[in-house]
Amino acid sequence: MKGLAPLFLGIFGTFAFSWVGLTVIPNWQIGHLNPQSDEEGTDVYPQPQSGMAIRGARLYAANGCVYCHSQQVRPEYIANDIERNWGSRRSAPRDYIFQRPVFLGNMRMGPDLANVGARAPQEQKISASGGGSGSSPGSGQPGSTRVQAQSGPASTAAASPATAGAGSPAATKPAATPAPQTSPSQGPPAVAGGAAQASSPTASPAPWPIRTEGLPPMYSAAWHHVHLYSPRLINPDSNMPAYRFLYEKRRIVGERSEDALQLAAPDAPPEGWEIVPSYDAKCLVAYLMSLNQSHPLKEVRVGAPAAAAAASPAPGGQLPR
Amino acid sequence: MNAIGIPLKEPSVAATAADAEQLERAMIDASTRVPVLVFYTSAIAWLIIGTILAGLVSFKLHSPDLLSGVSFLTWGRLRPAHMNIMVYGWASMAGIGTAIWIMARLCRTVLRYPLLLVAGSGFWNLGVLLGAGAILFGDSTGYQWLEFPRYAAIILFVAYSVVASWAVLMFRHRRGEQIYITQWYLLGALLWFPWLYAAGQLMLFVVPVEGVLQSAVAWWYANNLLFLWFGAIGLGVAYYMIPKVIGRPVYSYHLATIGFWTYALFSSWTGMTRLVDGPFPAWMITASIAATILTLIPVATVGLNHHMTMQGYFPLLRYSPTLRFTVFGAMSYTVFSVVGIIISLRSVARYVNFTQVSIGYSHLGLYAFFTMVIFGSMYYIVPRLVGREWRYATLIKLHFWASAYGIGLMILMLLAGGFLQGADMQNPSLPFSESVETVLPYLRGRSLAGVLLAAAHFIFAYHFGLMLLGLGRQSTVPTFLNPVEAEESEPH
Repeated sequence: MKGLAPLFLGIFGTFAFSWVGLTVIPNWQIGHLNPQSDEEGTDVYPQPQSGMAIRGARLYAANGCVYCHSQQVRPEYIANDIERNWGSRRSAPRDYIFQRPVFLGNMRMGPDLANVGARAPQEQKISASGGGSGSSPGSGQPGSTRVQAQSGPASTAAASPATAGAGSPAATKPAATPAPQTSPSQGPPAVAGGAAQASSPTASPAPWPIRTEGLPPMYSAAWHHVHLYSPRLINPDSNMPAYRFLYEKRRIVGERSEDALQLAAPDAPPEGWEIVPSYDAKCLVAYLMSLNQSHPLKEVRVGAPAAAAAASPAPGGQLPR
Repeated sequence: MNAIGIPLKEPSVAATAADAEQLERAMIDASTRVPVLVFYTSAIAWLIIGTILAGLVSFKLHSPDLLSGVSFLTWGRLRPAHMNIMVYGWASMAGIGTAIWIMARLCRTVLRYPLLLVAGSGFWNLGVLLGAGAILFGDSTGYQWLEFPRYAAIILFVAYSVVASWAVLMFRHRRGEQIYITQWYLLGALLWFPWLYAAGQLMLFVVPVEGVLQSAVAWWYANNLLFLWFGAIGLGVAYYMIPKVIGRPVYSYHLATIGFWTYALFSSWTGMTRLVDGPFPAWMITASIAATILTLIPVATVGLNHHMTMQGYFPLLRYSPTLRFTVFGAMSYTVFSVVGIIISLRSVARYVNFTQVSIGYSHLGLYAFFTMVIFGSMYYIVPRLVGREWRYATLIKLHFWASAYGIGLMILMLLAGGFLQGADMQNPSLPFSESVETVLPYLRGRSLAGVLLAAAHFIFAYHFGLMLLGLGRQSTVPTFLNPVEAEESEPH
């Protein structure tokens, strides 16, 4: 090859082509999405994350969660992510506009986490369209009926005044028919009376050999702490590392601390001791609880049965398989 | 000439070269001695550290309780630390070292101000050290291959600017009109990297793009780093080493031209194939898949060119360490690309996305292709820098076979395990945990392969150490892997 000019121009040209094509043009197309809202400007989704969740996202990055967990639900005609109850609809770019960094991930040595917050027991659920559980402005709106649609065993009437108290007529209907309440600590909230209308294939008990006895309700904040502290206490086959360095073992002074982990043998601390989460651990769990894409999006069409699910989304309380 | 009628020493150029040319080469080699050896030594040190981390990463994946109580030894920190040390510590530094030496030789110019490059390598080491330390102490950014926090990235960039601007300067001082194929690739790599790195850093950390585009930028960066930085250096080096060792010009310049430009054009567009079916506009992913399929053109032309150059000279693989490593790498490039095309197709990607296949694919590119080519170039260049020949042919052979079997086994395990894992994941009647159970035995096999690779690296590091200490053989004949029958037949 003779002449430098063509060589240099070619080297820059090819690269500029790729740069413009794969980053600049997409930035014009989807780089400035706004949250969606209904006509009155309420029921805004998505909403910015809380401070603790933002700090938790940094911990998620720092401890490499993304190398085993994805956060994207693929469409039902491509993969069975939805059938596995990892979400009620596919993920869309708008779901991520407030996330920084975005952890789409490309490995699933562990289950997808895009909706892990939506699986939380009723009273702990952080609304997908709001920061606080139940008290968000949108929670009483028809568009965000997720709150009532789901009534797992854990959502007792006593525990849900904050959500039902929104007073909207829509909210009262499912709340009036709570699932038969057993013991809060017994069994995962998989058998959900209110979610029967959802398209979820089964309401079977835990698909994994998961231990539930003596542990907090699945996907509650307390459960996440136990899971992070001792994954194999919950699932003996899990190959998730334990994150014990995020927890502190200390002697009980006076009364047992309120957020001490509810552990079972063999991981329970000795008598007189307790395991408490550090602030970092709390942030990480706050971040996990904030992951919730169950709110319907206008640009995502869902199938006929799933449409009902979109109005009253399924993932909450349903065990992913 | 030996029994098979093939020259084994310096290529045919050397036979006709005047004394002046020999002298010129000796002077160029002398001028590159210090910086290239500094880059190589650092690279090999990082290779050893990265290998140890890799062992921990691999074992911890199937034995999660191993050393899990310590924050900086948790799997999620060791993995990015290993990856970044291999990418920026080992592969980049070794690649730069080789690029410097080849560039000086091809530009036929002595290296001016070699200490500047030594300073560059010092900064580079500092950047990798800071970055890897930051990852271990919990300051990773969370983007694949861009985990180094900003303070480390800036140092790395400064180091890089020193090295690259110096290399481009050398190109300006070149003698001779012809620009050889290798120079296109090296120049391309040297100019693409800073743009790539700056664009990645700017669009992710300084003026971050919104939402999922961050992932798009991150994968665009990672794939281009693989193709336009490592791939370009690897191909350029192969284009130099193969003709050089066998003493025969490249088969076709035209093919090489087509191969280079289509490579630059298509491989730079492939980034989104890691995000097939993700939350993106479909055209982005489709464009990347199309570009990936089109990389068949550069793959075919480059492969054909190398093959035709080697035609009739394959018996030389028995003797020359450089050739053996380089040809292994060049062949792996074809495999790497074909696997890349297959797993990017939508119908396959829905099975293998989110499985160990992607890890296998990265190792195919970074190890089976790039690292093997670089090993080959090191076996060629180091003796010319230290004035000694490699001491033990046995060690080179051990290194080659441990590396070849190790990486072969590792890729087999990751691809096979990944495909099964994906099939289980895609089967709705199986619980998710089944897919993890399925892949675990393969991950244990991968650990075994890792042991082989570690052995290869320790052997190589030891041998390189001997060379550095001046303990190589004093001889005019390069170290051949097997005794050359020719020497017996030659008159003494």
